[in-house]
Amino acid sequence: MNVSITDILDQIIASLPLFRPELLLIVGFIASICSALFVEKRLKNFTSGVYLSTIVLSIYFLCAQLTTSATGFSGMWIVDKLSTYARLIIAFAAAIIGLFIQQRHKQDNNGDVYSVLLAAILGMNVLCNSSNWMLAFIGIEMVSIASYVLVGYFSKQKKQAEAAMKYALFGSVCAAIMLYGLSLIYGLTGSLDFQSPQQLQGLMVAPEPIVTIALLFVFVGIGFKLSFVPFHVWSPDVYEGAPTAITAFLSTIPKIGALILFTRLYTVWSSTAFYFSDLTSGFLLFVSIASMLVGNLAALRQKDIKRLMAYSSIGHTGFLLMAVFAYQDAFQYLLFYIVAYVLMNLATFIFIDALEERTGSTALSSYAGLGRKMPVLFTAFTLVAVSLIGLPPTMGFMGKLMIFSAVFDTYQMADEGIVLLLLVVGALTAVISLFYYFRIPFYAFLRNTESLQIGVAKSQILLWVGYLLTAFVILLGLFPGLLLNLITA
Amino acid sequence: MITITHFLVVSAVIFCIGLYAVLAKRNAIMILVGIELMINASILNFVAFSRYDKVNYGGQVFALFAIVLAAAAVAVGLAIILNVYKYYKTINPANINELKD
Repeated sequence: MNVSITDILDQIIASLPLFRPELLLIVGFIASICSALFVEKRLKNFTSGVYLSTIVLSIYFLCAQLTTSATGFSGMWIVDKLSTYARLIIAFAAAIIGLFIQQRHKQDNNGDVYSVLLAAILGMNVLCNSSNWMLAFIGIEMVSIASYVLVGYFSKQKKQAEAAMKYALFGSVCAAIMLYGLSLIYGLTGSLDFQSPQQLQGLMVAPEPIVTIALLFVFVGIGFKLSFVPFHVWSPDVYEGAPTAITAFLSTIPKIGALILFTRLYTVWSSTAFYFSDLTSGFLLFVSIASMLVGNLAALRQKDIKRLMAYSSIGHTGFLLMAVFAYQDAFQYLLFYIVAYVLMNLATFIFIDALEERTGSTALSSYAGLGRKMPVLFTAFTLVAVSLIGLPPTMGFMGKLMIFSAVFDTYQMADEGIVLLLLVVGALTAVISLFYYFRIPFYAFLRNTESLQIGVAKSQILLWVGYLLTAFVILLGLFPGLLLNLITA
Repeated sequence: MITITHFLVVSAVIFCIGLYAVLAKRNAIMILVGIELMINASILNFVAFSRYDKVNYGGQVFALFAIVLAAAAVAVGLAIILNVYKYYKTINPANINELKD
């Protein structure tokens, strides 16, 4: 086919406005590399300023895109409401994580970490906006490589080096397997766009065994990023080994991008009546149930709070997959639960970090008797835990309620046994999670220990951000309309 | 006459060798080599299939990007393994097990 180069150039130039927030991130990435190299030595914290202003500017450009709904770059780049809201959530979470790292790693930070973070955010934006396998793979690899670097970046202990190695090796294997699956899909269909009719038709006529292999291989890569069962084995080790600020990053931002990609994929692929659609929805139901069960049951016997949060976030991933299953055309439930999940996890890790700074430990038993010494912190921590369980009057409850009712509607229409099983497991695991989340206030308020040394906190700003997030969790739990109206308007 | 089947068989064999190197887990560098083999098997697939995609050569472009990304991932992986060696004096994954349930 001969398309003249001027036409292609015209099309690219016409698509550039859709790419504005990402172009800004690229500029910020280069600027933060230069600032870390030349300015950081003279002006401490200059790079974090560059980072934060890049994020704020990209939020501004994203707000300008809120009403846009278009495709660009010959159909490779989709901008719609779902992607814009998801990128806004990512940008807000990124701003808080930037502050987290800036406050917590003042000595051992020479500014490079911000450029790596910006690269990861760029990758996430790519994931949110693409329906093309090539862009999706580039996005996943950008996020993964940046995350490997981040986990090993502040490496001062054996544990952190080990966590980085396990993460990098496991992640690269998953990416390689996914790439092989993608090459098979490309061979079967001749198309790289998973929303294109050509790809769907190719998958309909292809032989079943090879479709099974190709699809499962592709899900391996997405499963690694979302850390659902059975590709979750890396996450407890990595969450425990990584510095807490990086763990906060890993548990929130990469999941948003991968989840939006998976949502787009699932809505298109499960819409037909052919074998590959059955396989996709069956797989989703299976991993959703398995993730909720494994995550919540394994969390029961954890003694380290960061490992506990790793299993808890596996359980939440299962729940988010349930939201993907219920997702039809209304994305507000999914987005509401993503916002709730991000707020809760960021607040939890800020509190964990504040306690780690004082007691020097992340073991649950080190919280014994601290409730009387730090009543405000533990009250806020308990409120977030209540929200993580999904009890009223918090955001976690509203999010779970909406998803449950959406799935129940699906069940009433389809009347399939496995959907009922999904609902039952979802409700049951919420009850199970009560036991391990309430161990935090249990240790803090009801256990006593002898006089213990509590260090002095260096930074109060971070703790205030944590309280603010907790206030949001309660406020949006009481008035969910505030957020829902914003999303649907 | 070399047909597409030959390419597919070769790439499947390379992929399996890579997967074996990963699962055998003797040495972190060997795992990286295995990953590289798996990625190259997929790249071979992409280029072979791309012959039948005369419209926009999506497979060849994908292959180019995959090569770049694989190189980046391996560079980061080697740096991390070097860091692990500094602390543990070994790169055998079986002996690096401080983090576990």
